[in-house]
Amino acid sequence: MTDPRPICALGAAAPQTCRIGAVTLTENADLGLASLALRRGAAVPQIGVALPGPGGWAEGSGIAAFWTGPEQWMVEFPGRAAADVAGELIAAAPGCSITEQTDGFVAFEITASEPQLLALLSRLVNIDPARLGPGTATRTGFHHMSVFVIRRAADRLALIGMRSAAGTIWHALVEAAQRQEVPA
Amino acid sequence: MLIPHPLLGLRDAQEFTYLGDAALLNRPDGMAEGAEAAFAEYVYLRDNPAGLHRELWFHEQGDRSWLVVTRDTTTHQILGAELARDVKLKGGAA
Amino acid sequence: MTRLAGGLIDRARNLNFTFDGRTYAGHPGDTLASALMANGVRLVGRSFKYHRPRGVFSAGSEEPNALVELRSGARKEPNTRATMAELYDGLEAASQNHVGPLGFDLLAVNDLFSPFFAAGFYYKTFMWPRAFWEKLYEPAIRRAAGLGSLSMQPDPDTYDKRFLHCDLLVIGGGAAGLSAALTAARAGARVILADEDFCLGGRLLAESHLLDDAPATEWVARVQAELAALPNVRILPRTTVFGAFDHGVYGAVERVADHLPQPGAQVRQTLWRITARGAVLAAGAIERHIPFQNNDRPGIMLAGAMRAYANRWAASPARRVAIFTNNDDGHRTALDLAAKGVEIAAVIDPREGVRTQGDYPVIAGLVENAKGRLGLTAIKVAARGGSQWIDCDALGVSGGWNPNVHLSSHHRGRPVWDAALQAFLPAKDGPPGLVCAGAVAGQGGTAAALRSGADAAVVALADLGITAHAPDLPRAEDAAQNLHPLWHVPGKGRAWVDFQNDVTVKDITLAHQENMRPVEHLKRWTTLGMATDQGKTANVTALAVMSELTGKPIPETGTTIFRPPYSGVSLSVLGGGDTGPHFRPRRLTPTHEWARAQGAVFVEAGPWMRAQYFPRPGETTWRETVDREVLATRKGVGICDVTTLGKVDVQGPDAGEFLDRIYANAMKSLRVGMVRYGLMLREDGTAWDDGTCARLGDAHYVVTTTTANAGPVYRHMEFCRQCLWPELDVQLISTTDAWAQIAVAGPNARRLLERIVDGFDLSNGAFPFMACAELTVCGGLRARLFRISFSGELAYEIAVPARYGQALAERLMEQGADLGATPYGTEALGVMRIEKGHAAGNELNGQTTAQMLGLGRMVSTRKDAIGAVMSRREGLAAERRVLVGLQPVDAADPVVAGAHLFAEGAPQDTSSDQGWISSACFSPHVGSAIGLGFLMDGAARMGEVVVGANPLQGQTVRLRVVPAHFIDPEGERLRD
Repeated sequence: MTDPRPICALGAAAPQTCRIGAVTLTENADLGLASLALRRGAAVPQIGVALPGPGGWAEGSGIAAFWTGPEQWMVEFPGRAAADVAGELIAAAPGCSITEQTDGFVAFEITASEPQLLALLSRLVNIDPARLGPGTATRTGFHHMSVFVIRRAADRLALIGMRSAAGTIWHALVEAAQRQEVPA
Repeated sequence: MLIPHPLLGLRDAQEFTYLGDAALLNRPDGMAEGAEAAFAEYVYLRDNPAGLHRELWFHEQGDRSWLVVTRDTTTHQILGAELARDVKLKGGAA
Repeated sequence: MTRLAGGLIDRARNLNFTFDGRTYAGHPGDTLASALMANGVRLVGRSFKYHRPRGVFSAGSEEPNALVELRSGARKEPNTRATMAELYDGLEAASQNHVGPLGFDLLAVNDLFSPFFAAGFYYKTFMWPRAFWEKLYEPAIRRAAGLGSLSMQPDPDTYDKRFLHCDLLVIGGGAAGLSAALTAARAGARVILADEDFCLGGRLLAESHLLDDAPATEWVARVQAELAALPNVRILPRTTVFGAFDHGVYGAVERVADHLPQPGAQVRQTLWRITARGAVLAAGAIERHIPFQNNDRPGIMLAGAMRAYANRWAASPARRVAIFTNNDDGHRTALDLAAKGVEIAAVIDPREGVRTQGDYPVIAGLVENAKGRLGLTAIKVAARGGSQWIDCDALGVSGGWNPNVHLSSHHRGRPVWDAALQAFLPAKDGPPGLVCAGAVAGQGGTAAALRSGADAAVVALADLGITAHAPDLPRAEDAAQNLHPLWHVPGKGRAWVDFQNDVTVKDITLAHQENMRPVEHLKRWTTLGMATDQGKTANVTALAVMSELTGKPIPETGTTIFRPPYSGVSLSVLGGGDTGPHFRPRRLTPTHEWARAQGAVFVEAGPWMRAQYFPRPGETTWRETVDREVLATRKGVGICDVTTLGKVDVQGPDAGEFLDRIYANAMKSLRVGMVRYGLMLREDGTAWDDGTCARLGDAHYVVTTTTANAGPVYRHMEFCRQCLWPELDVQLISTTDAWAQIAVAGPNARRLLERIVDGFDLSNGAFPFMACAELTVCGGLRARLFRISFSGELAYEIAVPARYGQALAERLMEQGADLGATPYGTEALGVMRIEKGHAAGNELNGQTTAQMLGLGRMVSTRKDAIGAVMSRREGLAAERRVLVGLQPVDAADPVVAGAHLFAEGAPQDTSSDQGWISSACFSPHVGSAIGLGFLMDGAARMGEVVVGANPLQGQTVRLRVVPAHFIDPEGERLRD
């Protein structure tokens, strides 16, 4: 009897990646996620990254976090999808409400030059790029779903949506990148 | 339409779900005397003003906050938005 | 050939195209209309009602006449304005709305019967006999009227939806728009400049006068180059801003590839949703005509358009033309055409003492009739000395200009009549942040337009806290129009006001006689302004004619306001790319690929694709498969993916109290490690949703919702948390997708699970019915186990992180091979829950209460909860219909959901109605069809025979009332 083997959100054993012109799309199957919500009167916990304010994304060492709602954050653990990151977070943030979210979502990392990335953004979400600079994150509508959009750097964007809709999200991303490629 | 989210600034109304009159914040006490009459009013009776209206919007495709938005129903001008939680903690929707 | 010299066309290249099968040539820069004109084609279409021959009337999007079917096959697009169709090599166009050749339309017979087709004829004529309407009148009218025809094939092209944000949206790229954009761009503002044409410049391209002593196109090119080089400016050519919505949201369609033979890899069109902090409306003006008898002859057109064709497209509708004008602008057309070698037969100008401004004769008079059915040959001019016929092959008409105020009244603002300009100016209460400039604002002269564009940008940006300064603007003409109002030429014959819908001055007179005088009535009685052009060249003229008839001034007669869209927007672009399988998001379960490999047939359940059943070789019907799956589960063990149920993580010290308030039954008292069925009511007392609530820790619950209500229930829970009881310390988050949840049901369920859990005691004592636990399976895989049953069997639901869902399903099948492990789908799931009498969506349909579901005692009276108070109100408490089981007396009879229940022998009408059948299936366990339903006093009628009536199929079935548990009524299997 072999150990049970996980599959990626897009249904394959290995994550998908795809380069379309100047845009690279990658399914980030290794991202560990846990949500953190403060309970009444609790102090903001020290978890290795300063929990950002509304619309913010902050990066620490091997950990990152973005604001998801009043007194709520999603904590990212890059490369640690296989670990019990929620369990670790419960230990690091006692008295907070922590929920395992690694498998609740699919994360796509998008890399392109800044102008290309901004042009792509205009095909994806109705958010003013001027308000989505590096270090920001927001949840917004995307093809009748909602997704988190994280601007990790000038040339890097992450789009995190519900895992069950991974195929739909991937299709929309690939289509947008392909249309980007066609000279107008 | 754009909704001025108190924490996130102007956001497109497409991100929101509309519920209606913010008087829904003032839910009667179900264990009190005369609760049934109070609930009948709470569930079924709404003002339908031509003018300023305090109403509930849910930022469903956003931060999942319920907002109390003050809107002029005749012009769609929005005069402000608050977190419903804050409104309720301050004593409910007037 | 009527091609002139000059123009903004590239004569070095030829573009071949066909119109009604004949091949012609044009040049890059041409529109279909200009190319047809240059080829001497004057007759391009037929009118809507009378099938009158028609030619090109305008040079823009206001075109009422020159509608064609463009392209062929699946790309055929009816009602395309030839004036907006950019010429490309190989373009195919066909005239529309005629039977037989365009020059001899059989339906032109309608024109002879025009007295019968006067205003309101639909309302008056086809009243009787009633049965004739559907069978005779409507098909005949539909065939005779209407415009182009559809391809009836799926659209082969792709469309995009995109978003833009800016400080200033400039609508229109003419003199005012360019100067506004330049002003804002130099101030560093983020600017979008949208123009519906394929060249920037607007009217500047159509005029011959100079800017700073040079052709206007030089200034246009310089400004365009500067704007294009700036990173804060985006130019959108071929883009129509069609709507001004609330709070600075504008809708626009960019025709990305309409000017190409085929879009290739590009999208055909893009729908832009533009969020602009401010906007300048510089959409120019549309010229109006002057109705006179037979003024719709091909060759009669707007004078400004005639000038545009000559200057920009080097085309003239004829070699010998006349002009009919009540203002100086008409003389410009005469001058420009004469300069290009076109003979000016005469300028007919009714104003006193007007003299020629060049080498052409002026006649002080009126044009009162026109000859030439398929193309103008002569006009009848009435002057002081009497009437005369003047030969000419085209006539340019100018009755003044109407500011293009449409977008300024998209928020219901009413345009304001300006007596000096004899025109409607934009509403004062237009969309906030929208500033009008140029001809829209009554600043139609070139110098005035340039200045007002810059001023508008300065004003709009000042509102945003951005300081801008008007740039140095070129010197330009600023001639006055000296217009003398003339709204129509009185006379006996028909004088067209609205060309596309064939509305004449006579029709307006008739409407007046019949008291259809308010402009809203006029419009609907005559169909004025209701065609595809929305009366852009007709509405104001019609209003003026009505004003004459009523004797009231124009502003008192009425105004016409506008709604989006400014011009037609295709449904394809509104849909964007959301077609076919991408019509909406598709959600897949964690075992989707596995189920496919098992040969599953899938069914759409909301956005989800769920395995419906798993056919095996040799099975010929779905029933056969489902029966097997049900029996295998009840005999051995079945497994089913139930991930789609909504899951919400509820945490915090007050989590129990919170759940107590949102569920009708008690939850706070639930012990850690146990699960309870939960029923949610709507606040009005109706049953809403059900699911399970598992307590994983002191301050940690996980609740499930039905698949369909996952979103609404979560929204409701957040409403309760934030709006009703923010004082409770409770946190919510959805975890629906995080866990793959698989039901393991059947007498062998425990034995199967024992083979995969890591040393966990599953014995009935250690893990009884309704227990739950966090544990590991398969050698260290984190899991949650719930002993709950929807099927009525000994059953569990086991959850693992979603990415292991497929592995878990495989492991269960592999380990359960000798136990009869069988995958089952939603059909078998449904059969088993009906056999067990569990309510589902059919029973929780928004019309039923806890009491009707037999769950009345669950609604606690010892606490307040959503819906509890209202569920006890008189009307609901008195409800007598309750959930029962139904079994046909004759086992061969069908049971149909939706059928209504009646006492035997009672009439089948509403007053005798005793309830309805909510769910039905074939039960392999019972061996017949069975049903669940709500029956009046059902609990007291066990064993009685009632009638299930399905009048849709004329079906009446005798049914025996039985308890709603067809299997294991005592629930021994669950607890075993």
